[in-house]
Amino acid sequence: MNIDNFFGPLDIAISGLKAQGKQMEVISSNVANARTSDAGKGEPYRRLEATFKSDGDLGGVELDRIVQDMSDFLRVYDPGNPQADGDGYVAMPNINLPTEMINLNIATRVYQANVAVLRRYQRMVENTLELLR
Amino acid sequence: MSKTDGIMALIEAGIKAEGLRQKAIAHNVANLETPGYRRLDVKFEEVLAKSLESSGSVDLNEIEPQAYQPKNTPVKSNGNDVTLEDEVGAMIKNSLRYKTYIQLLKKKYQQIESAINVGR
Repeated sequence: MNIDNFFGPLDIAISGLKAQGKQMEVISSNVANARTSDAGKGEPYRRLEATFKSDGDLGGVELDRIVQDMSDFLRVYDPGNPQADGDGYVAMPNINLPTEMINLNIATRVYQANVAVLRRYQRMVENTLELLR
Repeated sequence: MSKTDGIMALIEAGIKAEGLRQKAIAHNVANLETPGYRRLDVKFEEVLAKSLESSGSVDLNEIEPQAYQPKNTPVKSNGNDVTLEDEVGAMIKNSLRYKTYIQLLKKKYQQIESAINVGR
């Protein structure tokens, strides 16, 4: 019997934790900036999304890129706002809070699942060591 | 008799290395947010393996576990390169290796004890 990488499952689960950590960062940035109508260059904050990739060969997961969501900004009618254009509309970030909340839930669950893998594998190894008692 | 010494000395050297590693991990976790701090790691097993490969035997008085800074880790914006997830992974591996060494040592002592008690 050949065990190539004894700590493989641990490293893979840790990479999962780090990936979900990045996802949480992106979500928290989106939520914090949900009403940022001016993120520099006269444009509102653009929603960010994190994409992940894997080498497909038991290498775990890795952050690929953090991309900007290029869907249209929301146009909110607010003529009193100093940033309103000629028609009284203000451009607002293309962020939908319910979407961000769902993504937050998913990221949390995936994080918990990775922690469960870590814990179970640790117990498995400790059980194996019981054979030496 | 010397063969037993060799095995026990190796296991005890491994235990020393894990002890140093435990300190390094605790130091890293304490400095999780310190700007400019680079994490510490311990090298021992690679040094041991290399010396075994090259000379076939190893003098455990000469090879000591050594703490060092692996400068190849990705750095956050404040110059700090410690991530909690990596340190937790290192802690788990450290604890598993430590338990393995202790169990092996225990088994070795039990062997010696049964040898002593033969014929009782």
